[in-house]
Amino acid sequence: MKTYLGVDVGSVSTKLALIDEKNNALESLYFRTEGDPINAIQKGLRRLKEKISKDIKIIGVGTTGSARYLAGVVVGADLVKNEISAHAKGVNFFVPEVRTVIEIGGQDSKIIILENRVVVDFAMNLICAAGTGSFLDAQAFRLGIPVEKFSQIALKSKQPTIVGSRCTVFAESDMIHKQQIGHSREDIVAGLCHGLARNFLANVAKGKKISSPIVFLGGVSENLGMRKAFENTLGEKVIVPKYNTVMGALGAALLAKENIQGKTKFRGWEVSDQDIKCTSFQCKGCPNLCEVIEAHIDGKVVSRWNDRCGKYSSLNPQ
Amino acid sequence: MKITFADWGNYTIAFGSLFQKLGFEFIFPEKTNPRVIEEGAKLSPELFCFPLKVNIGNYLPAIKRGADTIVMWENIGGSCRMRYYWVIQEKVLREAGFKVKVLNFNSQNLLSKIREIQKSNQISSWQLLGAVRFFFKEINFIEKLEEKAQYFRPREKERGQADQVLNETLKKLTQTTNLKELSELKKESWQKFSEIKIDGNKEVLKVGIIGEIYTVVDGGVNFDLDKKLGTMGLNVHRKLNLTQHLKGGFPPWNEWLLQRKVNSYLKTTVGGHGRQAIEEMLDYSKKGFDGVIHLLPFGCMPEITVRPILQKISQEKELPFLSISLDEQTAEVGMQTRLEAFVDLMKSKQQLTANS
Repeated sequence: MKTYLGVDVGSVSTKLALIDEKNNALESLYFRTEGDPINAIQKGLRRLKEKISKDIKIIGVGTTGSARYLAGVVVGADLVKNEISAHAKGVNFFVPEVRTVIEIGGQDSKIIILENRVVVDFAMNLICAAGTGSFLDAQAFRLGIPVEKFSQIALKSKQPTIVGSRCTVFAESDMIHKQQIGHSREDIVAGLCHGLARNFLANVAKGKKISSPIVFLGGVSENLGMRKAFENTLGEKVIVPKYNTVMGALGAALLAKENIQGKTKFRGWEVSDQDIKCTSFQCKGCPNLCEVIEAHIDGKVVSRWNDRCGKYSSLNPQ
Repeated sequence: MKITFADWGNYTIAFGSLFQKLGFEFIFPEKTNPRVIEEGAKLSPELFCFPLKVNIGNYLPAIKRGADTIVMWENIGGSCRMRYYWVIQEKVLREAGFKVKVLNFNSQNLLSKIREIQKSNQISSWQLLGAVRFFFKEINFIEKLEEKAQYFRPREKERGQADQVLNETLKKLTQTTNLKELSELKKESWQKFSEIKIDGNKEVLKVGIIGEIYTVVDGGVNFDLDKKLGTMGLNVHRKLNLTQHLKGGFPPWNEWLLQRKVNSYLKTTVGGHGRQAIEEMLDYSKKGFDGVIHLLPFGCMPEITVRPILQKISQEKELPFLSISLDEQTAEVGMQTRLEAFVDLMKSKQQLTANS
């Protein structure tokens, strides 16, 4: 069977998705990057290979996420796409009527506005990571709750307390304060979710036309407390579709399928067992002082990037 | 007295030749790069505007090589915090232990200062006029060069040719000392540009850059936005440049004309180039552009004031709009992601209108 692979390597989690020629999602994976994107990609490929039958052949690869260039080099991508377009593509296919997309991942949050199935506006968090997955992770740890149980606890609250959410530091100190004066854990957790939803709408979504249907994606959309908080703050129903956490990878796979020309550049499953390393050096050719990155596979330089003038990246095999 | 001055994109070349012709001993400032930005931000007050921090970073290497005076323009009469740049910069540098003086020019002290310079540097009025004339010719040439590069980048068949011509010409421009050489260089570079093979039938999206003048013009602080968008296949337009800025007040009714154009959105000046940003966006919308990118230094008061207005125009006129604020914390990758998504947005919108 011929399939297309989408790889989404984010700051916190790595997602892989496989679609067939009829755009059906066959398989998807979601696991933590653990600060090592190369290893995560290798691990992902290894796991994916175990899960699928032998007759499956990959004939196109798309990568996205903040490590999309690196992932593209490692896997051998036919298409490297930014995460906004990839998510828009994915959600457009699986939830065609969507008008607003809220996506909150490990360290970034974004809003995408669509009209007639076309992206017309978008925004990403600029300077503040409040409300993203990493922050929730850290707070869950502080409260001694496994992040998976966060949702249940938040839903128990009848009277969420108000937690300041202008920025992570203030939210955290405000939360501690609330703990110290005796608020219950449920109320604090629910309050935190509400604060984060407010923060998102006030910062990232400021000035954007939010209209129904609203779709909520990304790792944080797994959190029932956050879903409820968004529904309460927006006063609208918030849909969390199937494949909510791997939508970017699915989008990348769909885009790869649409744009592929000729044979795929996929390096094959053996990538997961090869020795892949990245090193960097500072180019002193001009006052720009770019930090050029070199990728090595089994000791051979396969690609260089991050130079402004193209002195090194132009040497890459096309 | 050895002077240095702020680096400002390719204009720095013209500033250099102006000071040379005015008989100053000078050291070129360091070109803006990540290290300059880092060093400048380290010394500067955190909440001051980004350009001030970059300027400080530009001066430092020149000061270490012996420059003791900084030439800075002071914008009096409203405008924005650039008015205080010279005072703050002098204070910041002195507190850091550098014995430097700032020579500030403004529209009120300009004539008397020039007379002083003429006396101390023994420059005749004839030489002065020649220097100023050459300066404006150079500025004009630099702007035209950049425009040419903006046109050729998305259309050239072999990638990188336009930038090669641009960089070669700019390099030669630093060696150019008189009008005759300048006009020869002009001819030569236009010839070289015309030799670039282009794909004439290619559909090229047009994007307008608006916002704060320093960040709009300087590729060092906006991560080479011109080039980035150009290589993504977009024709970049920038209406705002030094010539436009200087023309703003001449003839005097320009001010009135500008206000009339933006009257339905903003009834007063907000300083900086706030009104110009609105005027430019309306103009780009009228001319059928595919999108507008708004650049501002983080915390730039005039641009922040007009940003909601620009968003409103974007929604009214259905003109894609992206606002990017820049400072020492801005990561190039974050900007790259937004630009890529914005280009996708413009492309899909254009396809949609082409199909319907």
